[in-house]
Amino acid sequence: MAAEEKVLTEKESLELISQMINKAKNSYHDSGIGPILWGSVIALCSLVTFFQIRYNFKLPFDIWFLTLIAIVPQIFIVSREKKKNTVRSYDDITMDYVWTSFGIGIFILIFINANIISHMKPVLQTYYEIKGTRPEFNYSSFSTSFFLLLYGFPTIITGGCMKMKPMLYGGIICWVAAVVSVYTKIEWDMLLTALAAICAWLIPGILMWKRNKKRLANNV
Amino acid sequence: MFKELDPILHSQLRLAVVSLLISVKEAEFTFLKEKTNSTAGNLSVQINKLKDAGYIEVTKQFSNNYPQTICKITPAGIDAFELYVKALQSYMNPTAQ
Repeated sequence: MAAEEKVLTEKESLELISQMINKAKNSYHDSGIGPILWGSVIALCSLVTFFQIRYNFKLPFDIWFLTLIAIVPQIFIVSREKKKNTVRSYDDITMDYVWTSFGIGIFILIFINANIISHMKPVLQTYYEIKGTRPEFNYSSFSTSFFLLLYGFPTIITGGCMKMKPMLYGGIICWVAAVVSVYTKIEWDMLLTALAAICAWLIPGILMWKRNKKRLANNV
Repeated sequence: MFKELDPILHSQLRLAVVSLLISVKEAEFTFLKEKTNSTAGNLSVQINKLKDAGYIEVTKQFSNNYPQTICKITPAGIDAFELYVKALQSYMNPTAQ
């Protein structure tokens, strides 16, 4: 911008304001690394669980512990991106709230599910003692539906507000999978979870990563 | 009756800076420099004028051993910007007043 004391006409002032607001509006950029990480981890855990149930084997550890381990690189990615960003937009703040509340929500859901399962154990035991057979009902199968429902919320909000259509469609797939999983057994629920993670996070994440790489190359 | 235009905002670079800051929570000096296509010296002078008028808040800190200047619009800056836009509108569309 040249001479700062240049006298602006009213029209020029309004044009400058709208030009700058537009420039600032496009300042939200996601590198896509976070969605790639979580899409891969959730898909991997779900697929391994599917194969464990399907082929009746057990790993010496719970594969879902990978989700806890993945928090470490996630913290590293977030702090690195925050350091790199030269601007903090209102969209950044909204996204921080949406995804942090989602992360906390997942832990609350795990806590609620663990409590329901522990309260149901004696009921199911009594059923077994009276009937002599194990009941058909398996709460874990329904808990997958709650997780898929929860996956859909931040994904749809992000996809819709940030105009990332693949993520919006991915979020809708999470909700469709949540409904379908009510009628399917736990092993198929795991396949639905893997599909949801790939569609909601992994594929949109790869697209965002490519778009961001292209943007950075154009800026240089 | 035409409203008077705020002389602090009625300058190309200062108006550009305030228009950028009104749209974001906070921005680094480098972001403002890139978006306004200005020189560091000129931008620095104009930022100081906005700061002295109480329209923006400037925080200086270090990140990875590099100095970092973060600018943020103040409530007074938001009010001044809104008044400025209203005044501009009165010039553009005097019959609406």
